[in-house]
Amino acid sequence: MGINRRTFLELTAASTALTAIGTSSAMAQDTDVIRIGIAANGPRHSDPNLTTQGSDNWATEQVYEQLVRPEDGRFALSPEDWVPTLATEWSASADAKTWTFKLREGVQFHRGYGEMTSEDVVFSFRRAIDTGTNRTILANIAEVTANGPYEVTIRLHAPDVNLLGTSIFNNNTSIVSKAAFEEIGAEAFATDAVGTGPYQLVSFEPNFGMRLQRHEDYWGDAAIVSRVECVYIADTTARTLALLSGDVDMIEAVRAPGWIDSMLGRDPTLKIDMTVPGSFNTLHINLTREPFNDIRVRQAIMYALDREAVAAALAPMGGTMHGLQPAFFPAGFEADDLPEELQYRHNPQRARELLAEAGYPNGIEFEANCSQREDYSSTMLIVQEQFRAAGINMTLNIGDHTAYHADNRTDKNTLAMHASSYPPIPTQIYFQQLASASQVKADGTGGGNYSHYGIEMPGIDDLLQQALEATDYDEYIRICEEIELQVLRDLPLIGLSTLSFTAVRNANVDLGYEVQSGYARWRFHRATKSA
Amino acid sequence: MVRYIAQRLLDAIPTIFLILTLVFVAMRILPGDPAIAALGDNALPEQIAEFRERMGLNVPLWQQYFNFLWGIFSLDLGRSLLSNTPVTQLIATYLPYTLELTLFAMILGVAGGIPLGVFAAVNRNKWPDNAIRGYNLIGYAIPDFYLGALLLIFFALNLGWFPIGGVGSGDIWSRIHAVFLPALTLAFVKTAFLGRLTRTSLLEVFGKDYIRTARAKGARENRVVYRHGLRNALLPISTGFGLSLLSTLSGSVAIELVFNRPGIGRMLISAIAERDYAVVQGGIIVFALFVVLINLLMDLVYVIIDPRIRVTK
Repeated sequence: MGINRRTFLELTAASTALTAIGTSSAMAQDTDVIRIGIAANGPRHSDPNLTTQGSDNWATEQVYEQLVRPEDGRFALSPEDWVPTLATEWSASADAKTWTFKLREGVQFHRGYGEMTSEDVVFSFRRAIDTGTNRTILANIAEVTANGPYEVTIRLHAPDVNLLGTSIFNNNTSIVSKAAFEEIGAEAFATDAVGTGPYQLVSFEPNFGMRLQRHEDYWGDAAIVSRVECVYIADTTARTLALLSGDVDMIEAVRAPGWIDSMLGRDPTLKIDMTVPGSFNTLHINLTREPFNDIRVRQAIMYALDREAVAAALAPMGGTMHGLQPAFFPAGFEADDLPEELQYRHNPQRARELLAEAGYPNGIEFEANCSQREDYSSTMLIVQEQFRAAGINMTLNIGDHTAYHADNRTDKNTLAMHASSYPPIPTQIYFQQLASASQVKADGTGGGNYSHYGIEMPGIDDLLQQALEATDYDEYIRICEEIELQVLRDLPLIGLSTLSFTAVRNANVDLGYEVQSGYARWRFHRATKSA
Repeated sequence: MVRYIAQRLLDAIPTIFLILTLVFVAMRILPGDPAIAALGDNALPEQIAEFRERMGLNVPLWQQYFNFLWGIFSLDLGRSLLSNTPVTQLIATYLPYTLELTLFAMILGVAGGIPLGVFAAVNRNKWPDNAIRGYNLIGYAIPDFYLGALLLIFFALNLGWFPIGGVGSGDIWSRIHAVFLPALTLAFVKTAFLGRLTRTSLLEVFGKDYIRTARAKGARENRVVYRHGLRNALLPISTGFGLSLLSTLSGSVAIELVFNRPGIGRMLISAIAERDYAVVQGGIIVFALFVVLINLLMDLVYVIIDPRIRVTK
């Protein structure tokens, strides 16, 4: 088939016109909607009492509220940092077992379900305690009672100086409408829950995501942008292209080395929002396996690790932990504040000496499992190289993420990396990863203490119990600091690095606040978007 | 004919039963716990135990298997372990998107592949034939997810001619606009496959006596190629079409991910990663049924194309 000059010109003109149309349609963004590309295949639930997929919280964060919250983009690092939300005042008894909350008057539920009262608060807590996904933490709540329409009292089985962080600012205890629940029914409520937040749920679409609309009767300042769309895009390439093309305004980032640089290379105007610390990456040393039951070998591992270099390799998302908490968290230490012998500054030569003292002059070899997920595999590959320089040869078996966790849960790993997000409540990580009650078991019925600390050697159970029973916050922190030092002496668990939760947005979206810390989701009610 | 179809459907039951059993066993053999996938890495032992009990995962394997089979007989494929949504509802939601993509890809594949094959056969060993053979090689060699990403970057991101992903809005033109690029990606390899098959079949037919006779009688070349040649080459092409249809259906798995389209493929990938047994089983049932139906359809097409083939008991 020949092509003459006329045809060629016609084709060229058509292509140019289409290009122009395409470009203008991609640029012509609606400034009254924020679209976020979420790294998951589809939403599971919108009911905050049921959410198990972290990504769904981008929507629940906009739609539901709790009695208290931290400032936008931050964690509450001390009891004074909590901000009145659906409660305006609160007080705790001297024994930290009875907490009273005065509720904000005039708070309206979405879609005309009326004013929030203590009846809704009691209902929401009862529902969370009975059927929520976080019942273990809430099991400490003995009773929630209404004292009139605008006051509730929460009585605990044991003291909890951190109640606001453990149980009040908690997805499960978001306040939902009792009347709506009774009208809609439990099953439909799973994807159609009614809350009080600055946005209300418009549609829950398994094949798309969730669409939200401004709650016009919001008790605080109404959201500036009228709509939010949570678009689920699991594939990394598709999500990246969606951001670069302007199809979405913001995406959840890929937490792998170099990803941020490559994004900024494509578009230097992009804005990066990161929570510090993000997830805590810890290394569990299995104390039931030789030679790791020898403290000198564990110390050698610690000296072999260059934790600053791990963080630098993951920059700008990586951070360091000198114990099990980031330095700015309660009970966190800066390296210089630790005793010299517990600082474990990178020293491969010292690691080799310790191995030789332990009877391994030629170093050690072992196998460890690792998840193929980017944050796990990239971190562990760095660790592998650092170990090699100190005579520790670790063969990594990198495999499926779900299988990796199942193997860890059945005590099949020697050096297990674990990535998890924690609020500034130190006892949560101690309980989940160090308490003897959480010891891993071969039949899978155990918990997340993969090192067997507290069983193979004396652990921190007594100190943990003292911390959990503390009635004074400062005393609580003091005991937690003691735990940190003991763990650094015993080394069953290493705080390897932190990895920020990160989102990338186009420059025309301004969140209205700076993201500093907090969970892996942030609110959009103060956000603005320009053309 | 009706009896034949009924017989073929009955014959398919053991195959489907075998597939279901294999999927059931494979999912349980795979390491990984749906309870941890559903509840997260920090799930406590009590939460995991409660989840397993609620989802019927705490009973012996043989009992789970019979519950699963009973569910299928009563047309209940169970509920997603993660979202608690009925699997039939998930399939009803996602299947139309996969069928839409498959249909468009096949239309593009056939519309491109057969004319290319004819053109190559007619110009055997000339430069158009060589060029088309080169294209065929590329079509076979390039992975469709990679091609999809390239097309996305060029046509959607740089030129802005197509949306980056999704399925468009409700109206038909928007749907076609959204499905075109993913369908083109899938069609690329189909075009290569069908083009090569058409060329080979036609060249074989061109060597037959009746083609020589037609030309000797002075029949026009178009008539020789299309009426005598292509018509007689259709049988192997139709076999290729059936195979191509099945591979398009399975190829949609990767393409749905790259183009962020909802569909059975994306549903399956996510369910396998999260060990959502019920959803995986439901998705595989859909694919198995399609394999059976397409094979049956192709058998019937043979009868229509070649009257010498008869349906026997």
